[in-house]
Amino acid sequence: MVQINLPQNSKIKKGYYFKDKTGSKNLRKVNIYRWDPSTGENPRIDTYEVDMDNCPSKVLDLLNKIKNEIDPSIAYRRSCAHGVCGSCAMNMDGKNGLACTKPHSEIKGDINIYPLPHLKVLKDLIGDLSTLYKQYESVQPWLKTTKKSDNNEHYQTKEDRSKLDGLYECIMCACCSTSCPSYWWNGDKYLGPAVLLQAYRWIIDSRDEDRKERLKKVADELKLYRCHTIMNCTNACPKGLNPAKAIAEIKKMLATS
Amino acid sequence: MSENPLSPHIQIYNWHISSLVSISHRITGVVNILILSLVCIWIWSLLLGNENYKIMFIFFNSFFGKFFIISFIWSYSFQILSEIRHWFWDLGYGFELKTSKITGVLVILGSILITIILFSIRGILL
Repeated sequence: MVQINLPQNSKIKKGYYFKDKTGSKNLRKVNIYRWDPSTGENPRIDTYEVDMDNCPSKVLDLLNKIKNEIDPSIAYRRSCAHGVCGSCAMNMDGKNGLACTKPHSEIKGDINIYPLPHLKVLKDLIGDLSTLYKQYESVQPWLKTTKKSDNNEHYQTKEDRSKLDGLYECIMCACCSTSCPSYWWNGDKYLGPAVLLQAYRWIIDSRDEDRKERLKKVADELKLYRCHTIMNCTNACPKGLNPAKAIAEIKKMLATS
Repeated sequence: MSENPLSPHIQIYNWHISSLVSISHRITGVVNILILSLVCIWIWSLLLGNENYKIMFIFFNSFFGKFFIISFIWSYSFQILSEIRHWFWDLGYGFELKTSKITGVLVILGSILITIILFSIRGILL
């Protein structure tokens, strides 16, 4: 259901202020969402003054710098730092993206960092994505075929292969799904852009023999048609993919089949 | 663990042209139904006689009446233009970020332009 306001225990309070100790003249304020499960207190926004003269270019570098030099208690996911693993997806400057590919120079004014929107927060910038993973599992994202292939791969033509371009690159970082208002209000039933893009990736795969069943499974008022083409997903995707178009293609296939 | 907070969503998320047009499409849709019902009631009330026409005439020439007409025209023209955009989407066109941004702006500007044109035509007619 649509609930605009945050629940009482999620209201954000003012947090601590970490003054700069380096004496640098090139400072930027970084506001970070903090929540510590051990205290039972409401979430807060901590503000850090960061010396930008000695900080590499990406938001993730900025977070690492804060964690290493100012406040080691801050928690966030990160791994590859090259936009491939999708771990450091978060909301920066009001838009979802990967901290490791987002240059902080693109952000004007103070740098605001929140976890991905409308998730159960586990700690600080870490949101709980288990619902999304369950939904991902529900579309059975693997090749289904009855053909026996002993030694060879399942071949497909170059044209058929090219249909997967713009789909296979998805790293399941959840930037798109958590940017979608429909997913905010109906995240338990609506599959969301990330999972639907994956569903389409298997529907359109020429090697897969389960297309009809896949389409049937996804053709649901709540699972699919909660997409109202708000386009937040495509706006958010850090890999430049187009989940909105993928969803539209599924709708089109259903309408014309 | 049930006390885990919900991370902020609409409070912090930036508005894009496409999300703005999308929510406006919804709101104008609901408003149009309400207004159309109201218009029907007025037409019906005309059948009850002369007096009712006078009330309508006074209302439409009042400040609020004019505001009402402008909103009515805007709401409809916005809905129609936005719906045309949706038709193209349903056919699978116009999903590129740039295209959707341009068509979104066109819907907003177009609806304002149509409103101005239609309202000034009304001014000429009356």
